Amino acid sequence: MGEMTPRKRALLCVTGNKRKADRISCLDTLTTCTVDQMNAVKAPFPEANRDPELAFRLAAAAWEVVGLEGFKMPFDLCVEAEALGCKINWGRIDRHPSVESHVFADLKDLKIPEDILDRGRFRMKHDVELRLMKEYGDYLPVANQVTGPFTVAGHIFGIEKFCIWTKKRPLEEVKEALMTISEMNIADCKRALRSGAEIVCIADPSATSDILSPAFFRDVMVPVYKNMSRKIGAPIILHICGNTSAYLPYMPDTGFDAMSVDAQVDIGFAKAIVGNKIAIVGGVPTITALLFGTPQKVREAAIDAIKKGVDVLMPSCGIPPRTPLENFKALVEVARCMVYQ
Amino acid sequence: MATKEEIVNGFIKAIVDGDETASAKWAKEGVAANLDAYELVTKHGGDAMSIVNSKYERKEFFVPEVLCSANALNAGVDVLAPHMKSDKTSEPATVILGVVEGDIHDIGKNLVKIMLSAAGFKVVDLGKDVPLAQFIEKTKELKADVIGMSALMSTTMPSMKKVIGMLQDAGIRNKVKVIVGGGPVTKEWALSIGADDRPHDASAAVGVTKDLVAKVRAERGAW
Repeated sequence: MGEMTPRKRALLCVTGNKRKADRISCLDTLTTCTVDQMNAVKAPFPEANRDPELAFRLAAAAWEVVGLEGFKMPFDLCVEAEALGCKINWGRIDRHPSVESHVFADLKDLKIPEDILDRGRFRMKHDVELRLMKEYGDYLPVANQVTGPFTVAGHIFGIEKFCIWTKKRPLEEVKEALMTISEMNIADCKRALRSGAEIVCIADPSATSDILSPAFFRDVMVPVYKNMSRKIGAPIILHICGNTSAYLPYMPDTGFDAMSVDAQVDIGFAKAIVGNKIAIVGGVPTITALLFGTPQKVREAAIDAIKKGVDVLMPSCGIPPRTPLENFKALVEVARCMVYQ
Repeated sequence: MATKEEIVNGFIKAIVDGDETASAKWAKEGVAANLDAYELVTKHGGDAMSIVNSKYERKEFFVPEVLCSANALNAGVDVLAPHMKSDKTSEPATVILGVVEGDIHDIGKNLVKIMLSAAGFKVVDLGKDVPLAQFIEKTKELKADVIGMSALMSTTMPSMKKVIGMLQDAGIRNKVKVIVGGGPVTKEWALSIGADDRPHDASAAVGVTKDLVAKVRAERGAW
């Protein structure tokens, strides 16, 4: 029996089968680019967000430079909003693109164009995924990231306005809008899976329980997510920022394979709540350990997360671009069981 | 005509319920009954937002409810503002608010703005995605007493630390107090980067800001 490939290992761990893997997987399906990687492969932000060649090199840097056992595209959360017509601020080397203007004044204005996947950077994203698959696909998995429905709603309507509508408008109308957006996510994922992506990461940072009630999550977000898990047909990781502890009891109902939790959620607590119904990934705090910590601090945090039962070793949230490479690498070392080096 | 008690209670209830129409209606009743508009806004509006806040703390309310309440308070303020005689006994403290560069999440900052404005502070809102140097320029230009910075993304939190460094470099760190906030910002982290406080939410920001203004004015004197 040969050595297990990182691809096989990742697919086992993401789907909650880490006991069948030779060891824990360490990949990052969130925002994974740092300035050190950009410099190493000469593919800096903001250009790398739009140039397919630079994007390929920067995506590959996750493995080539850091040693993360998988790739993910794209690097930012603006692909959907851009394709729907929002104005994008492209940022700079240590600043991610962000959405600058909203496009729809009202819920009833929402319309997803038929050819949405040919707009903006969807095509580029899928092309880069295909190239990653061709060059590394037998050994490393490719993850397709989509911006989740609630976050896209915040982008296209304005988050405050959308939050108020969750109270002032019939809940069915709000849910309907989120469902419509989720269909765009589903179409995106289906094409990405045809391009060789094998894992889907839904990043829905705005759907945090710092903003929404657990009841709204249960009654509106869970059915929307369920729609996605039913139709996408691949291992799915959901990432929500902030303290999502109150959502955990409903998380298995989404049908997703894994929940990526932020630093405010204790991994042991999360595992105790969800049991083995859904994998819990993340565990290494981006700010205190990865950005401002030391390699030793990262190792300690990673070991702590493993002890508490984390299924995939991952930064707890999008990585700040100025995170030192040596800290990021320390995360991978722990997964490789080279803990005390 | 409604009694003062009815008006005050109606106004408070309208804000807590997030009902803009009712809030404006009770504010008009207040004007008609010759109630002190300033007191109605800062005291009773403040009381209402405290109730909203404690509901938020108890996880009965979430951000959407708080936003609706803030809108209701604003609807009342719109009616009452022309009738407000400002408090002339002391120069109102100047507070600069902004969401740091790279971050466009401004819900928290907007709530703090509403609360501080209602409490009588002169609030200058720099908006979101604010270039860091602008915090320094505006602090000098407006002789601010307090700077409030917000970040909702962990990727932009380090900018707050930079601004504090820039205040030091400009030699004005001791002239102004700094508060920070936003989902991922912990009090421990705030103090570690040299901020003066991290109010745990928008209404707590009022008390914290009042205390810091008193402190900075005692320490610094005039700008």
